[in-house]
Amino acid sequence: MTSSSAASRKALSKIASNRLQKELVEWQVNPPVGFKHKVTDNLQRWVIEVNGAPGTLYANETYQLQVDFPEHYPMEAPQVIFLPPAPLHPHIYSNGHICLDILYDSWSPAMTVSSVCISILSMLSSSTVKQRPEDNDRYVKNCRNGRSPKETRWWFHDDKV
Amino acid sequence: MGNKLGRRRQVVDEKYTKPQGLYNQKEVDTKRLRKLILESKLAPCYPGDEESTCDLEECPICFLYYPSLNRSRCCTKGICTECFLQMKVPNSTRPTPCPFCKTSNYAVEYRGVKTKEEKGIEQIEEQRVIEAKIRMRQKELQDEEERMQKRQDLSSSSRTMGPVEVDHGSVGVLSRRSPADEEEIVSADQLCSTAISRQPPHLGTNRDDEFDMDLEEIMVNEAIWRSIQEKHNKAIARSVAAPSEQYVSEDHYVSQTTAPSAGSASSPSGGLACAIAALAERQQMSGESSFSHNTTMPSYNVLPNYSQFYQTAVQDSDSYVAPESGAELAQGAGIPMASDDGEWNMDRGSEVAEAGTSYASSDSPRDAGGISALPQPNELDAGFQNLPAPIVPESFEEQMMLAMAFSLAEARAVTSGPGTAWQ
Repeated sequence: MTSSSAASRKALSKIASNRLQKELVEWQVNPPVGFKHKVTDNLQRWVIEVNGAPGTLYANETYQLQVDFPEHYPMEAPQVIFLPPAPLHPHIYSNGHICLDILYDSWSPAMTVSSVCISILSMLSSSTVKQRPEDNDRYVKNCRNGRSPKETRWWFHDDKV
Repeated sequence: MGNKLGRRRQVVDEKYTKPQGLYNQKEVDTKRLRKLILESKLAPCYPGDEESTCDLEECPICFLYYPSLNRSRCCTKGICTECFLQMKVPNSTRPTPCPFCKTSNYAVEYRGVKTKEEKGIEQIEEQRVIEAKIRMRQKELQDEEERMQKRQDLSSSSRTMGPVEVDHGSVGVLSRRSPADEEEIVSADQLCSTAISRQPPHLGTNRDDEFDMDLEEIMVNEAIWRSIQEKHNKAIARSVAAPSEQYVSEDHYVSQTTAPSAGSASSPSGGLACAIAALAERQQMSGESSFSHNTTMPSYNVLPNYSQFYQTAVQDSDSYVAPESGAELAQGAGIPMASDDGEWNMDRGSEVAEAGTSYASSDSPRDAGGISALPQPNELDAGFQNLPAPIVPESFEEQMMLAMAFSLAEARAVTSGPGTAWQ
């Protein structure tokens, strides 16, 4: 949560901050199973602990998701990445970027942080191998200047995992 | 259905025919928007409320509350006009997909404030979601328990690692259990508070007592209760103006139910309530079979996919923990995995469209349409279809419920509270 990255982002619009406040309240009343929101006073960046689902490759492992909300959330998708160390998964790059369509092209304003989290956990749970994407090194090298995954042109090719 | 004759022009204050500034609108054709709102093709741009008060609907995009929302043609999900304008980018060449079900060419229609049937149907759907959540959670906890059991068995058999393992294990159980327990309390409270707010207090506590017995059943009862209650409200409201068909048919149905025990209905004032209660008692005495049938039936009808493990859950675990949280899995599956929903939504859409066409002609056929066009996502819901239709109560509980409903209705009609007669 460096000040520079916070400053470079535009503040949440009124509607975005109103909606996020309500999402947060709903989360507190009814958190998605396996997730824990780490309390901060920053509504625009949520850090969420993910527990690997029991009976999957990631059981008993804990990871952290960082969710950054754009000014025009929910019309624009939030940026969701894993903080290091990112889980070993065929769709998760070592820099924490996640190849998941709903985070990019298929985002819909009807989705919520909670539903996104569940999709990510579901993606983790259905994995059969713990390995990085084939193009991990190339991709991560390209992103070295701290590029957002939202600027990546994702190619969603695998609907199994 | 846009150009139908007889479509009522909405009387809308001029200031609600343009956006209230929820978003920084890009390019809105304000003239066209105004026209659409005045022609009742889009919901008026009322300013959204932060808080939910009765009869307001929440827009699932901006999370604000409105007197009425537009409905998507594909999946009938609500959206406020200002959010809808954000979805439809005017100069885009690509057809906009529905934000809810991803059907391409997103379009909405406006059908005014929701009818009671629609609200009742929604409540039943909500119940179903809650039930599915509970089953998921039960399964989860059961699995976990089994795992812990195995681990403890293992550790107790090996001397060297024993104490450490057991300790770790029990801590794990505790820490995982506690949030779950909290959740149960929360959801129980929610359930109870709605129950109490809609019912006389003695009924609230009565159902509260049963809570430990079988949450599943309570919730089904709740759904039945609501549908009965809603029908009654309407029946009463209508009987003031003119006796409607529905009222008559309900009367008819009641008399059928009471017929077998007509002899035992002694109190003239308590009438129906007494008779039904008596019938219920008689059946209760004649055997537990109908009761146990009732406790197991509703859960299996809802989601056969889960019924198998639920069956085992019921048999194996008598301790029951935490309804709420398995939840999101169910919900999540609906939202992000839109492809699965596609068919469901389209089916439903067409049914609703049918109901919609009868809108202009008169109100009563529309009501009928509302009931017959109950959304049937698939055959799984068969168990619920007969809820809004006349119910033939099988179990003691249901009959008592019905009896209470009638006594309530009677109490309302006749000021000298005959409702006490059944007690």
